[in-house]
Parts: sequence; structure tokens; C-alpha cells
Amino acid sequence: MDFIVAGFIKAIELLIGGDSSTWTAVFATLKVSTCSMLLSIGTGLPCGFLLGYFDFKGKKHLRTILDTMLALPTVFIGLTVYAFISRQGPLGELGLLFTLTGIAIGQTILAFPIVTAITASTIENIDRDLKLTLVTLGAGKRHIVATCLWEVRYGILAAAVTAYGRVLTEVGISMMVGGNIKYHTRTITTAIALETNKGLFADGIALGLVLITIAFIVNLSLSFLRKQ
Amino acid sequence: MTKKDFAYHLKNIQHYYGNTKVLDIDDLKIETGSITGLIGPNGSGKSTLLKLLAFARKPTRGRIFYKGHLELPFSSTVRSKITLLTQKPYLLKRTVFENITYGLKIRKDKNNLENRVKKALLNVGLDYQNFAQRKWHELSGGEAQRVAMAARLILKPEVLLLDEPIASVDTESARLIRQASLKARDNWGTTLVIASHDLQWLYSISDRQLSIFKGNIFSTGMENIITGPFVKPDVKPDDKPLVKKLDDGQIITLKAPAPKTCTAIIRKKNISIALKKQPGNGMDNQLSGHIVSMLLEKKSGHIMTTISIHDLCFILTLPPDQVSRLDLYPGKKVILGFYSNDVEWI
Amino acid sequence: MSRKINFTGILAIIFTIILTIGTQAQSKSLMMATTTSTDNTGLLEYLIPHFEQETGINLKWTATGTGKALKLGQNCDVDVLLVHAPPAEKKYIAKGYGKDRRQVMYNDFVIIGPENDPAGIKGKNISDAFTTITNKQAVFMSRGDDSGTNKKEKLLWKNAGIQLPDKEKWYVQTGQGMLATINIAQERDGYTMTDRGTYIKYQSTKGGNAPLKILVEGDAILLNQYSVLTLDPKNCPNAKYDLALKFSDWMASQNAQNLIKDFRLLGQKLFIPNAK
Repeated sequence: MDFIVAGFIKAIELLIGGDSSTWTAVFATLKVSTCSMLLSIGTGLPCGFLLGYFDFKGKKHLRTILDTMLALPTVFIGLTVYAFISRQGPLGELGLLFTLTGIAIGQTILAFPIVTAITASTIENIDRDLKLTLVTLGAGKRHIVATCLWEVRYGILAAAVTAYGRVLTEVGISMMVGGNIKYHTRTITTAIALETNKGLFADGIALGLVLITIAFIVNLSLSFLRKQ
Repeated sequence: MTKKDFAYHLKNIQHYYGNTKVLDIDDLKIETGSITGLIGPNGSGKSTLLKLLAFARKPTRGRIFYKGHLELPFSSTVRSKITLLTQKPYLLKRTVFENITYGLKIRKDKNNLENRVKKALLNVGLDYQNFAQRKWHELSGGEAQRVAMAARLILKPEVLLLDEPIASVDTESARLIRQASLKARDNWGTTLVIASHDLQWLYSISDRQLSIFKGNIFSTGMENIITGPFVKPDVKPDDKPLVKKLDDGQIITLKAPAPKTCTAIIRKKNISIALKKQPGNGMDNQLSGHIVSMLLEKKSGHIMTTISIHDLCFILTLPPDQVSRLDLYPGKKVILGFYSNDVEWI
Repeated sequence: MSRKINFTGILAIIFTIILTIGTQAQSKSLMMATTTSTDNTGLLEYLIPHFEQETGINLKWTATGTGKALKLGQNCDVDVLLVHAPPAEKKYIAKGYGKDRRQVMYNDFVIIGPENDPAGIKGKNISDAFTTITNKQAVFMSRGDDSGTNKKEKLLWKNAGIQLPDKEKWYVQTGQGMLATINIAQERDGYTMTDRGTYIKYQSTKGGNAPLKILVEGDAILLNQYSVLTLDPKNCPNAKYDLALKFSDWMASQNAQNLIKDFRLLGQKLFIPNAK
């Protein structure tokens, strides 16, 4: 039990004391998760919109594939990304293995189906009267799309928060693609895995607390945005 | 006006949802500046017709002319001129002010918004101070409907289509919405097409009533509809007429239906009213019932009379002199007569 | 209007972020794959700043088992290896993946277990110890990850004339790093084999009073040789062969060898330099 209490104390020490390895892991985590979130929202939002807004042949199959992708284990994504960006792989030339960019690519693959699926079902659940109302108020097609997206902003926000939670906490991709390199690709979660492996539970708990704090701040600021 | 000016002209319209035909209109004209009442049971096609008139849908077949020009959904000419208010309008997840100015913003019309919103709100009995900054979820059903109405009125539309606008609101909201829609016609010459179950309101304000049943339009207003089950009579099996047996023992005889039809229409003009059965006049249907309501049609001065025959309702439009000659009043027993051959099937 | 989304703006931000992340890979940097023991003990963290300062080469490392480290080299995902599995290393060079192998240091493997030693292996030689464990069916933790330690352990079973008991209930394959495996052994009151360096590190995390003690040590066969391997440029033309060679040279230099000799944890030497 001691190490749980010790973990709390250690967490405060690490953060206030400006421990460089802790802070670089925090920054690496923030950097890589922000990047993958921007990428996955940038791609997932339009795809989710298309999927939810239009009816087309094969839509059902696409949804099934997407729903399967929701269940992709992070280690599998990590392995696949590794196979592609390994120097022997098709994208080896880019030298992305053991970089934050590599992790970001993997996390984007992790977050993309979440953003897409939630956006699609949010769009699908749009009140059928909304479109009619907009048309009869004189909205053109572009207005309709923009207004629909704005109407479901909370749903999209929920998609982003869910995806962010997954990206922030995953460890498989960061470990396999990033290699847990100290001061470079060591993120909070891979650092926790390492500290646990070393038997340093207190340090692991401390880092876990940091992670929870980040998640809390993100959610807090989003709920504040929501009130606006 | 001597020469009639038509806002709408619908030609050979057929509309399907999947394989089901929901609307079938050969030819329909709606006069500019007129008020048209749309009557019919739920699911008869009223809402679909209004959506077509709003150019929110393209008919499966046929053409719709607006002011003489063939128009299609999203055409810029109709987009800014025609608007529709539904029974449960969608309010955007924004403030009342933003909801009301949405249409104006699309039109890039940003002049003096505050004053215009004030006026629009006042028109539907809402106070600017109190309501403009409210969020969409801070309104009662009736208030939301009035905000939606204000959002349409602020556009000064050429055509205002109302689909059961007061079916689910409180009486005060209903009064204000009725009043505001009339004002639109009076102030800007707006053409109104109103679907409503409030027949008293419709008959009192509309220039013309269209009744719609199973996608068919009857421009003579409400007609009398008899639905099944029908049975084959025991006699005369060769002619294949059908009869409907009422529980009180009366029998309605109807001519044999055309294929694929199952609903009988008996037009008002084919029904006569009398106080006693007249065996000599050859009418094979003489049914006894009693008057349940009488309503004045303001424009024509005729009396819309509803007669109940057991569980069926018949509607006749009677000239005032006939009413006084027969001394008709609600509760009075009358005989309705019509020929089985005058029955139409749809 | 503030809520109008400027898509080009967002794209610009995304690309800037990608670029800042991407440009971190400097030209004069070396990527090394190594074993968990060199990383977990803190040796590299102690040693590498000296290397960077002296040569100006930025060295990054990822710590895995020797098996995966060799694989990373074979795939050209790293530039240089620091590993400890001599037979596998020789095969690796013979296959044309590795080029130069330079022995830099060694420590030794030990068998550790609970202080009360339920199977009674204390002081036995390694083959007898393994036989006793098998007979008593005492819980034994194996890395089971094809790491250098794991390779060695399998060799020891073979030498003791026992078929690898990998289907037995008492033989637990953790599939994790050395420290993690020691911690699992501690939780299960089991035996395991570890390199001495990692054991000392384990002791230090337990404040010098570790539940698991060294029970078997000192056999010649328990020697654990660490070597630096460069990759064959024929297999990996993009690997930084010249920089890798510089690292290899530096590790064998007098200065580095002295640093390794002076590296202590809890007052104990972890590695013994032996570059020729």
C-alpha cells in the first residue's frame, strides 16, 4: 500500500521539481496526441460526414468495416505501422520509425475510426426536419452542410473527446513505433510501462496521475467551451 | 384584378416514396395572394404537397411552375421567396435572435437586424427584451412555434406554406400564429397555403379549400369518403356492385369499383338532402341520419353542414335559402340521397 | 464570424506540427537497439552523455530483448547494436546482417530465488540446480522472449540434459524485460535467471533489502558477454555505418572502458570491461 501514497507524493515532486524526463514525456505526449487528433479530426470529420449524410451503395459494408476498425488493438496498429515505416518497409525511406511522427501516424489510425463512426452516427441522427427547415429558410447546399455540422457540434466534440481519451492512454503504438526512447519518443504511457517493468510502482503511479490531470484539464476546458 | 395571376401551376405531378404513390395531381393552379386551405386526414399527402410547393423536394414526375417559370429545388429564384412552417419546426441550437436572423444571414441581409427582429417577435406576441437572447431549449412548445413563425415572417416571403402550424400549440399561441399569417397576406400580399385540422379557421379565412385524400386533390373542397370493408350483395351478382353495411342496419350501395381501387368518393354536388325518404325519385341510396354541425363559409356565404349517418360523416355545402327552407339545424333528422352510379373510386 | 472554420489555417497548423516533429531527426545522430539490461541498470544513461560530448554524435537507443534488437538491425531500423548473445551474434554476421563484432564488457548471470530457497539449490552448480528445480517442480520464471538472457537460459537447460520444460505449469514464461521478470518472480516466490547488473539494480529499487537473493553464481558458463555490432552496409546501405563504427571504437577506448569499470550501483560493480 505504501507505494500508492508514495506515488502521490512522487507525482507532486516530479512535476513541481521540473524533472526533465517527466516533463519531456509530458510534452511528447501532448505533442503527439495533439498532432494525431488534428489529423484524425481533419480526415475523420469529412469522412464521417459523407458516411452519415449520403446514402450510397455499399454504405452498410463500409460501416461494418469501420465498426471493426473501432476494435483494432493498439498493438496491432503498432505492428502494422511498424511494418510500413521500418526501413525495410514500403515507407522506410521516410525514416519515421522511432519518431513522434511515426507514433502520430499510428494514433491517427487509432482515432480515425472513432471520429468517423461517431460523426457519422451523429449526422445520421440529425433531426430530419433540420434539413427541411434550412431549405425552406432559403439555405443553399453549402449552408446546409455548414449548419448541419454546427448543429451537431456537441456530438462532434464528444467524438473528439472519446478519440482523445483513447489516443492519450494508448501504449501499444507508442511502444512499438516510438521505441520508448528517453527524451525523444518516451511518452507518459510508455514511461509508466517502463517504470512498472522496473518495479518502480511509485514513479508509475506518479506518471499516471499526470496523465489523469491532462485528461481532466482537457475535459474541463471542453465542458467550459460547451457552456459558451 | 380581371386577369388571374397564378403563383403556382402544377402539371401532371406524381410523387412516390419507394414504390408507393403518395401524390397524384393532374393540374393545379394557386392564385397569387390567395389563401388556400388544405384539408385531409393524416397521411393523405398534405405535407408532401407542401414540401413540393416549397421546392424542398423534386416531384418524381411532373413539373411545377412558379410565376410562370419552371422551377427546381435550390433554384435561386424560389429559394429566397418561399418558406414553409411545419407542425414541429426545428429550432437551431442557438439563441432566438440567431434563429430568427438565420434566413436573413443567408440572404446576406444585415441591415438593422435588431429592429427587424423586435418587430418580428412582436408580430407573434413575444417581447424582445425577454426572448431574443434565450437559448433554443428555454422555450415552451408554443413559444418555439412562434419563434419559428417569426423567422419566416422576417423574410417577407412571397409564399408562406403552413403545415399544421397550430396543431400542437396552446390556444394563445394558435391565436397569435393565425393572426400573424393573415397579416402577412394583408401587408405583403403573401400567398398562403395552409394545411390544418382546424376547419373552422380554414373555412373562415381561405379563398379556396382543396381536399386531399390518398394523394388525390379535390379542388371542390372536402368530399365524402367511404372506406371499406365492403361486401358483395346477395342479389344481382352479375353487376358486381358492392355494399357497405352499417351497424344500424342501413345499407349503402356502390357501383362496382375499378381495379386496384378501394376507397369510394361521393361528391357533395351529387348528394341531395330531404326531410323524408322519397321512394319515387329513383335514388338507390336513401340514408337517414342527423345534422351534427353547421359552419358558415365566409367567402361564399354557404353553410357547410355535417351529417352523421350512424358512424359515417357526410359533408354538404348548402346555400342559405335551402337551409332556411328545410329549417335545418344541428340535431335535426334528415335523409341523404344519391345514386350508386355517381360513386367514384380511387 | 469567429466560428467560420478556416481550413487552410488548420492545415497549416497541422503541417507545421508535423514538420517540427519530423525535423527532430538530426543528421549526425545514431540509433541503437540494445538489451533491457544496459538500459534498466542506468549504464547507458551514465555512459552516453560522455560519448555525445566527445564525438558530437547524438545517440538514441531503444531497449528490447536481444532477439528483437537483432531483428531491428536486420530490418535496418537502427544503425548499431549493443547485445549479449555471442552464438546468435556470430550467426548474424555469417548471414550478412552484421559486420563488425567488438566485445566491450561482460558481467555474469546468476540464479536468484526466495531467501528460504524452497527447492534447495543454494551453492549447487548450475546443472544440478536446474535438475533440482525440475524434480521439485519449483516455480521458475523465464523471460521467454528470445532475449540474450533467454537464449542463455535455454542453453543452460540443454547443458543440464533437461528438455526445455516450456509446457510445465511451474515453468512460467513472462515475455517481459528482465526487471519485470524479477518482479514477477518476487510476487510468485519463484526462481529466475538474471544478469548480475539487473539484479543489483533490482536490489537498489528495493532499498538494498530484496526478497530474492543470489543462490547460484560463479560457473564459467554463466559469463555474459556484451558486444557492439555494426550492420553490414551491403544489407543496410542507409544505416550510418561510419558513425556506428565510431561508437564501436569509442566503447572499446580506454576512456569508455574506465567509465564502465567505475559504474557502480549500491557500491557494486555491474559490468567488467574487456575490450581487446
